[in-house]
Amino acid sequence: MHELSMTTQIVDSVLEEAKKQDAKKVTEVHLVIGKLTFLGIEQVRFSYNILVEDTIMKGSKLIIEEQDGTIECPSCGYKGSLQFEDDPAYHVPIPTLRCPKCGKAAKIVEGNECTIRSIRMLK
Amino acid sequence: MANLKEVVKGEEVTLEIEPGMDILEVNKQLAQKNMQLLREHNVKAIDIMGSIGAGKTSLIEKLVQALKQKYRIAVFKGDLTTTIDAEQIGRHGVQVLTINTGRECHLDANVVARAVERISLEDIDLLFIENVGNLICPAEFPLGTEKRVVVVSVTEGPYMVVKHPFTFMTADVMVINKKDLAEIMKIDTEQLKKQVKEIKPDVKVAVTNALSGEGVEELIKALEL
Repeated sequence: MHELSMTTQIVDSVLEEAKKQDAKKVTEVHLVIGKLTFLGIEQVRFSYNILVEDTIMKGSKLIIEEQDGTIECPSCGYKGSLQFEDDPAYHVPIPTLRCPKCGKAAKIVEGNECTIRSIRMLK
Repeated sequence: MANLKEVVKGEEVTLEIEPGMDILEVNKQLAQKNMQLLREHNVKAIDIMGSIGAGKTSLIEKLVQALKQKYRIAVFKGDLTTTIDAEQIGRHGVQVLTINTGRECHLDANVVARAVERISLEDIDLLFIENVGNLICPAEFPLGTEKRVVVVSVTEGPYMVVKHPFTFMTADVMVINKKDLAEIMKIDTEQLKKQVKEIKPDVKVAVTNALSGEGVEELIKALEL
């Protein structure tokens, strides 16, 4: 829902980096977006294409890599993927923070990031 | 620091840098700063999230009434516009600061930091931050509070929890409000409790009627106040 403001921050950060490097053009931006964030990939792309108009990022390739969620259990030390609750009524299985090994509450360690992994530019 | 790699191909010089910059992390770091500042001043802050009309303001009003003898309270009211809610809470003699976001669908740590600058932390022990009415976006932006509360009301239907698992993952306390309407709405509050415990096993749950004040004591206990 807030993809436009998030993407604005991404584009601003990339432009700032490009300026620092004295680049003529940005050709590629590689993002990593966690699957546990609220960021829709389609909406990020849509916002990106609008925001790069009239900048040196116009025409750049946007690569979005999705990062799976990982949890860690402080009780039993489990580290791995999340458990999912599946019920036909839900349509899509819902992720839970219940540790698949001991059932206690686990913490998210991966999957809620939105990182600019790399930027390619022409000097 | 960003890694730099320079590739020269004919006339063209391609530069690849790896900033590894996490855009969401910026907010998390600011939130951490807010938390530190609030802790230094022994202020306990609570973020209250929930849909539009879930009863966040009414609940805060009841919490303020019940706790104002015990704590010196301030309230931040996040809203797109207007000060209607601020007046509802302000009449109980506590400091209320409205944060009008204009367009933004959630509060973030930065606007909270600016609001914190405008109140005297020496004069308060408890800060309620009512987030913008929205069950989705606020979850992604921690503000630096000790606890996060998610308010759902039975009039929002039986699937609030399962439709918004990511929001409930960030909650310390869930409030099921408008309990007086549960029967009319054919909502089983026990079922909602069970669903939220699946997603977040250590979450505490309070079932309330924010208009009558029923269940507010239960909520105060869940908040450890």
